[in-house]
Amino acid sequence: MFSRGTMIKLPNTLGFRLTFWYASAFLVCLVAALLALFIYLDTILNNRMDEDLREDIAEFQELLTEGGRNKVISEIKREINSSDESEVFLRLLDGHGKVVFSSDVSEWEGLDAATTLIVPKDTVPSLPVLETVEFPNQEYPARIVLGKIGPDIILQIGETLEKKEEIMELLFMVFAGMVFLGIPLASGVGWLIARKAVSGIEEVSRAAKDIERGHLDRQVTVKAQEEEIQTLMDTFNAMAARIRSLVHEMRDMTDNIAHDLRSPLARIRAMSEAALSENDSTKGYKNAAMDTIKECDRLMHLINTTLDMAEVDAGVTHTKKERVNLSQLLADLCELFEAAAEEKHITLKVTLEPNCHIVGDKHHLQRMVANLLDNAMKYTTSEGQVSIELARFPHGFCLTIADTGLGIPLSDQDRIFDRFFRCDHSRSLDGCGLGLSFARSVARAHGGDITVTSESSKGSIFTSTFPIASPAK
Amino acid sequence: MRILLIEDDQVIADFIQKGMKEAGFSIDHFDDGLVGLHAALTQDYDVGILDLMLPGLDGLSILDRLRQEKKDLPIIILSAKRTVDDRITGLRHGGDDYLIKPFSFSELLARVESLLRRAQHVVEPTSLSFHDLTLDLLARTVVRSGTKIDLQPKEFTLLEYMIRNAGHVVSKTMIMERVWDYNFDPGTNVVEARISKLREKMDKGFEVPLIHTVRGLGYVLKRNND
Repeated sequence: MFSRGTMIKLPNTLGFRLTFWYASAFLVCLVAALLALFIYLDTILNNRMDEDLREDIAEFQELLTEGGRNKVISEIKREINSSDESEVFLRLLDGHGKVVFSSDVSEWEGLDAATTLIVPKDTVPSLPVLETVEFPNQEYPARIVLGKIGPDIILQIGETLEKKEEIMELLFMVFAGMVFLGIPLASGVGWLIARKAVSGIEEVSRAAKDIERGHLDRQVTVKAQEEEIQTLMDTFNAMAARIRSLVHEMRDMTDNIAHDLRSPLARIRAMSEAALSENDSTKGYKNAAMDTIKECDRLMHLINTTLDMAEVDAGVTHTKKERVNLSQLLADLCELFEAAAEEKHITLKVTLEPNCHIVGDKHHLQRMVANLLDNAMKYTTSEGQVSIELARFPHGFCLTIADTGLGIPLSDQDRIFDRFFRCDHSRSLDGCGLGLSFARSVARAHGGDITVTSESSKGSIFTSTFPIASPAK
Repeated sequence: MRILLIEDDQVIADFIQKGMKEAGFSIDHFDDGLVGLHAALTQDYDVGILDLMLPGLDGLSILDRLRQEKKDLPIIILSAKRTVDDRITGLRHGGDDYLIKPFSFSELLARVESLLRRAQHVVEPTSLSFHDLTLDLLARTVVRSGTKIDLQPKEFTLLEYMIRNAGHVVSKTMIMERVWDYNFDPGTNVVEARISKLREKMDKGFEVPLIHTVRGLGYVLKRNND
């Protein structure tokens, strides 16, 4: 039966995985290298032994030609005396495989049956037969050579493989030891590498946790050597900075909104109180109600604009971006403002490059341009001129809205795009001080920007750019 | 005509009930979602006005249930949520129109009437007239007491919108939305200027002025100044 309890659950951390894979890869490579070395050494030793045996046959052949059979036999005897009979044996055979002379072969059980005794007829003396044979009473196999050293005289030499096998066994032990030691070593090194790789991620994770607990100023300060981790850290820091600035902005906004909400509320309260204290004047009540509606509309406008701007700034608007014909959008808006301009005796000069398309949020763009036009109209006196020009550039479009109005004092020019900022001379006019900052938010959300040049009592020129996003983006 | 109102804010509900009764509708009000849904499923109404955040059962679920039961009751959603996404969600769940709080009563009334017209499959007329004013919707021409009046395209659309809502106040917001398709107030007196231009063309020189301003609310097309 299978028992689920025995299944080992391995830790699922990146650190463990890296360590595991590093160690595994290292060990596989080590074992493969050692195995190759082992096989190579084994082959070399075997070849050398065969070489020696062949040389022995050749020497005896020479001896036979020089000194005849007796010289060979005495040499065999000398050889036998100088070594152990369990390690080496030498035998002389005739052409039929019959033993003519032999060393003591009691240590080599079943020798005749196990080995080849007849040299094939066509074999030339220089091509001896080599074979490896195992004997029941010997621990190691032996390498045996059978060679013709003269007419009808065959020499058989056998030599145990004990020494070679012992070397190989020792080698095997050494290699196994290396592998055995390699496991903790590889794991250790792997763990160190993994720690190093993961430490950056852990630092980011700690920073994220801190931010979650409310420490918004937290940054990742550690430098990573790995490019990917460094990119992660940089991206994280950029993200944290963005969150920080958004939170600060929101805090400022909330303060400003609270302030701007109080004024209409104060007016509503005052009007209602005044209406109540009046003696049964229906007209007074009616007026108070109308004024209240007007103030409510103003409050709604303020709240909506604030929310829209927060949305544009945070880039969280879910509205699908669409292809917008800027030229058409501007033409429609100019048409909308036409009557109002006529009434105020302001000339609207419209120069639009046709078919300028960008990808963006149509409603936000409409409001942006409407805000700029509204501003231009507001600050331009009767008989003045407002010119709207849309021009095409190699990498986008440029919208210029110029008026011949009051102009903006130099000291205020930097601040007119700030939220809730209002010039001294604009305080008397309708508005909540959000129009231009909304316009800038929209321009920036579309990858462009908006700038102003202005001269007091001569007019202002607002220039907005709309780059065409390259296809790669 | 019978209207179903499901709204838990008593002040808003009273405001709507009072106005609708004055406009000649009979109206049933429920302040709980489940009770309201039950009424919608068991009784016959011509149009429903539905708040989204309700005790008992929320507005979107009510819409889902209504559409599951194949009730083709036209529904206007009332909500304080104002993003495009909210609007789309409301309409996807089967709402026929979406009105953002706060709203003016005249706007609600105009939308209710428009839904009723649609539900009754009223054949679109080819001309509209009011008092001595006649609009030919095909030729896009305006004649008042036999005199042809030249209007710009947008002025024509504006007048058409006002004549369709004759007797009811239309707000600046409604005009911006219906005539220019802008869902924001572009500032400057763009609407006022248009109206005064329109007035100049079609009221000047005639005995009875037809376009009247209602302070704080908007404009209305009517015969006498009462």
